[in-house]
Amino acid sequence: MKIAYSLVTRRTFLNTLFGGWLVAFCGGSLYALLKFAFPTLGKEPDFVVLKTTDFINIPPNSVKPFAWGGKLGLFFKKENGSTYALKGVCTHMECNITYKPEDKKFYCACHKGWFDDNGKNIDGPPPKPLEFFEITTEGEKLIVAKKGIKVELPKA
Amino acid sequence: MSCQRLKDWIEERYDVEEMKRLARHKLVPVHQYEIWYYTGGIAMFLFVLQFITGMVLSFYYIPYFEHANKSIIEIVTKLNMGWFFRSIHHWGAQLAIMVLFIHAFSTLLLKSYRKPRELLWISGFILLAISIFFGLSGYFLLWDERAFAAVRVATGGAGNLPVIGGFIKAFLRGGIDVTGETLIRFYAFHVSVLPIITLALIGIHVLLVQYHGMSVPLSLEKKPQKQIPFFPNLFYKDLIIWLLVLGIVVSLATLLPPEIGKMADPLAPAPENIKPEWYFLFLFQTLKLFPGDILGLNGETIAIILISCGILFFFLIPFFDRRSSRGEKSVLFTWIGVFYTLYFIVMTIIGFVS
Repeated sequence: MKIAYSLVTRRTFLNTLFGGWLVAFCGGSLYALLKFAFPTLGKEPDFVVLKTTDFINIPPNSVKPFAWGGKLGLFFKKENGSTYALKGVCTHMECNITYKPEDKKFYCACHKGWFDDNGKNIDGPPPKPLEFFEITTEGEKLIVAKKGIKVELPKA
Repeated sequence: MSCQRLKDWIEERYDVEEMKRLARHKLVPVHQYEIWYYTGGIAMFLFVLQFITGMVLSFYYIPYFEHANKSIIEIVTKLNMGWFFRSIHHWGAQLAIMVLFIHAFSTLLLKSYRKPRELLWISGFILLAISIFFGLSGYFLLWDERAFAAVRVATGGAGNLPVIGGFIKAFLRGGIDVTGETLIRFYAFHVSVLPIITLALIGIHVLLVQYHGMSVPLSLEKKPQKQIPFFPNLFYKDLIIWLLVLGIVVSLATLLPPEIGKMADPLAPAPENIKPEWYFLFLFQTLKLFPGDILGLNGETIAIILISCGILFFFLIPFFDRRSSRGEKSVLFTWIGVFYTLYFIVMTIIGFVS
């Protein structure tokens, strides 16, 4: 069948067809490349299980590090013997903090941030207090969990 | 004899005479500010030095977190002249970034960005940004404690940008945190992504300079111009300066080889007295001016937004400076240029001494 007239010229039709093909191809390729280059994000753990004997006997007024996923966790015993666990990462720019037993404070060397022994940000740029975890013991196991998380360990 | 035959062979195929004529006819202006013309050439020379030393270093460097730090120690202790090439690469980078800043600020103050050279400014600005990212990614390849903390802060800072921040942070880190994945990613940026973009941009930048010719400062533009041929007059001057720069780099590399810190440990505290590299000090000092909390909003985010606006304005200066694009005196933008230059210098010095 022959069409008497058309709304678009043959040139416009072909340009649109090839242009569309190019845009679709480039767009699709770019999308796939970006999907590939962009990482699948992991997640911080809700809880970690440690060995009680490794941590509970540390001297008062000291900390011992543990791995909180890929981040630093600190097991902390205050001078009065009470124990805590906290995330050892500064709330300002994510640098690892250190405990200064002589000052009884936590310190971040990156931008000179200070936290007291309750984790409260007291000096320097940190905008928020440190994140403290809940600790429970089940026999040999020391369970460090985010606040408000219900930990269910698999029955061995 | 055979040399003549080779020459004929080439000339039969390529119009060498025409290229020679082009080189002979290229003239460059001479005036009291001409010293700033050399900064671009010095930067290019240092880039070449970086490319060569970088290539040989990449033969031995292992971009894997368990071996990265050790492989650099092996390069500087066990390989022939390894310490020298590593040291040259380090000092070449420091000087290249310094020269680029001088080049950028001289362009800003002499208003060489004005119409029709806007694209030169833009390509130059991107080259400067890329060079800083080159610096950061190269610094991280050391995989020592300082580098680790620096990249955490830098990528974390980018993460503070609204909307796109999270995406940029995850893309740069290759995950939610700085890990061995980040090292591989930064290696890829450092040896493949950034060099290819840099080469393309240098090509465009240099071609644009040829196309527009050297910019003459506004104040001298209307006066009669003195010009000298580029080849060989200015070219020889360039060579003299490059030789001097090479001397400086080699001296620094020999007398002050850079140190290698303790291998990074993601669970170790940030090292005491940590400071960013000198070209980040002005940002570091600016961040320090802002409290953690401003009227209930995150001070860090506000600081980063303001800094980004300052940088964006710097980037767009050729489009805001309407007067100089019309060839008129533009006092306001002279002051803006002076402000940017002084801010950078003063903040860097304060960061250095404090």
